[in-house]
Amino acid sequence: MTVADDIPLAKPARAGKATQPFPIRRVVPGVLTTLIVVFCVAPFLLVLAISFGRKVDGAAWVWDLTFENYQRFFVGVLWPDEITLLYLQQLYYSFYFAVIASLLAVLTALPFTLLLTRLKRSTQAMWLVFILSSLAMSEVFIVMGWDILLSNNSGLPKLFRETGLTAWLKDVGWFQTLRDWGLANPRNVKFKTSDFATVLTMSYLVWPYAVILLYPALSRLDPSLAEAARTMGAGRWTVTRTVTLPSIRLPLLGTTLLLFVFLLGTYVAVTVFAAPEKHTTAVAIYSNVRGANLNAPFGATQAIMLLIAASTCLSLGHLLNRKAEGAR
Amino acid sequence: MLGLSLKGVSKSFGHITAVEPTDLSFPKGELTALLGPSGCGKTTLLRMIAGLEAPTRGTILLGGEDITTHPAHKRKFGMVFQSFALFPHYSVRENVAYSLVIGGMGKAAACKKANALLETVQLGGFGDRRIGELSGGQRQRVAIARALAQEPEVFLLDEPMSALDAKLREEMQVELRLLQQRLGITTIVVTHDQREAMTMADQIVVMSNGRIEQIAPPQEIYHQPANTFVADFIGKANFFDGIVVEGGVTVGDTHLTTQANFQSGSPVQIAIRPERAAMDDEGGANRVAAKVMFVRDLGPLREYHLQSDIGPMIVEYAVGETGPTLSTGDATTVRLPPEAIQVFPRAAPKSQAA
Repeated sequence: MTVADDIPLAKPARAGKATQPFPIRRVVPGVLTTLIVVFCVAPFLLVLAISFGRKVDGAAWVWDLTFENYQRFFVGVLWPDEITLLYLQQLYYSFYFAVIASLLAVLTALPFTLLLTRLKRSTQAMWLVFILSSLAMSEVFIVMGWDILLSNNSGLPKLFRETGLTAWLKDVGWFQTLRDWGLANPRNVKFKTSDFATVLTMSYLVWPYAVILLYPALSRLDPSLAEAARTMGAGRWTVTRTVTLPSIRLPLLGTTLLLFVFLLGTYVAVTVFAAPEKHTTAVAIYSNVRGANLNAPFGATQAIMLLIAASTCLSLGHLLNRKAEGAR
Repeated sequence: MLGLSLKGVSKSFGHITAVEPTDLSFPKGELTALLGPSGCGKTTLLRMIAGLEAPTRGTILLGGEDITTHPAHKRKFGMVFQSFALFPHYSVRENVAYSLVIGGMGKAAACKKANALLETVQLGGFGDRRIGELSGGQRQRVAIARALAQEPEVFLLDEPMSALDAKLREEMQVELRLLQQRLGITTIVVTHDQREAMTMADQIVVMSNGRIEQIAPPQEIYHQPANTFVADFIGKANFFDGIVVEGGVTVGDTHLTTQANFQSGSPVQIAIRPERAAMDDEGGANRVAAKVMFVRDLGPLREYHLQSDIGPMIVEYAVGETGPTLSTGDATTVRLPPEAIQVFPRAAPKSQAA
């Protein structure tokens, strides 16, 4: 045995502790869970709880466990004497505007994005930066712009009148058609208030999102698929119908659903451009929670119902897609 | 027989010329290979034939009819793409029946014909499968069946074997050639693989830098290359720079007897295939002293890498041939038969076997 054999070895535990890496794998999920609970689950549960609360006449509201708010949502406040479908109608208009605007945004963004993917890389980057930067504008700012553009005294209607376009429309007889569509008064064209202006502004709001969501899928689309179809006798429209659209079916559906859900909550555009009888659930929720009604429990009920309706739509979309996949 | 022909067809992208003015005929019922390195313009030429690119100048004729301005969907040339371009959202049968269905054929009749075509490419019973469930070789067969479904007058294939592994590629080359011979369809294959071109083609068009270097049958291309590019690109060759003299060529201090149709004093490049040079005791002209630097045994072939008096060279023997048994460092003599030496005007300097 040598002297060296007698020297006790240093315990490696201490060194091991010092070099132990930061347990990021355990910390990150914990932080994420906390964030989700604090910012998503807790507010949702709070809204859910408030929806069962009770409004006190002439005062605020109190915690309770009543289903009156849900009953009111479906059959109106006068039930059982009378059934009114006002709140269901508001939900219907939420869907009506959101569906049309999301479809319009996707249908117009699709050809644009297809063309964009065929440009030079540097030009594509320039366009994408421009489109991304347009997202910096708030809903209020955009709606204000459209409000000026479509207002009767300073916008397009004035331009129509000054350039003689209104007179020409009257001469050729198309002015009456515009009146039938609610886009003209006896003197001139008018876009406020109208479904047209509401849908247009809502589409404009989400159009950059549509481009950005469709771009990855379209830029990955193999151009030889369309070329192969062309060599087999397919014209431009047949290629689009049988090859391009089916190849991007999932991203198309996903983008439309995402925009639809986003648009269900549109408030400013609907308030400014939609006729009062066509106001949506989002407007009604604001009116109940912060507006004139001060009926937070019923506002919360409407929010929950809007959420349930949106979730049902998303589930239905998912189900239809799986069915279509299964049928192939 | 009138087949497909190109008259002065060229293509430029801005100031870059992809294909220089080209005159070319594709005999009816034969298989032509467009062979060349990447970027030589062969795929651009094929795409112009398919109607996927418009020629900058020139005329494309099919059976005497000018089809230059016909769009791709009017030409209906069956085309197999490098990526196969199979439609992932359709089944195998739907892919094959695609051209028939969009052409107005009833679904039942289209399916019946698709099934027959799948049998032709030995994929009977695969009709209901998804494209994602097929191997590379199976996908290629589906692409071939799909392109043939519309009974095209011209069948185009753009690097059809490049996505396959080496063994499958060899098998598919033979299979494709047999199928083409059976159907007797005018076929154009783009490839950068000389073995593929040699295996399948009746006629090879060698291209480089947007230009045609030589058009000839495979054996002629190999044994009588038109220039150093073709000699270098097709197979292997030993190249040496020399000067034409009376009765042959002088390489360095060595006189090599050969037939050189150039004026005396002209700078030339000579080429000799590795299998045409010999290390034997036969007498005769053109014997060059050499030393073995490396022996490369490839199974069916054995290559001797030599340092000779006229420069480095490779001599090749096949299994079964009577050849010497030499090792690294051995001294030997190489015989360069005069009839095996090809003489070209001197181009880019080359001193080593390709």
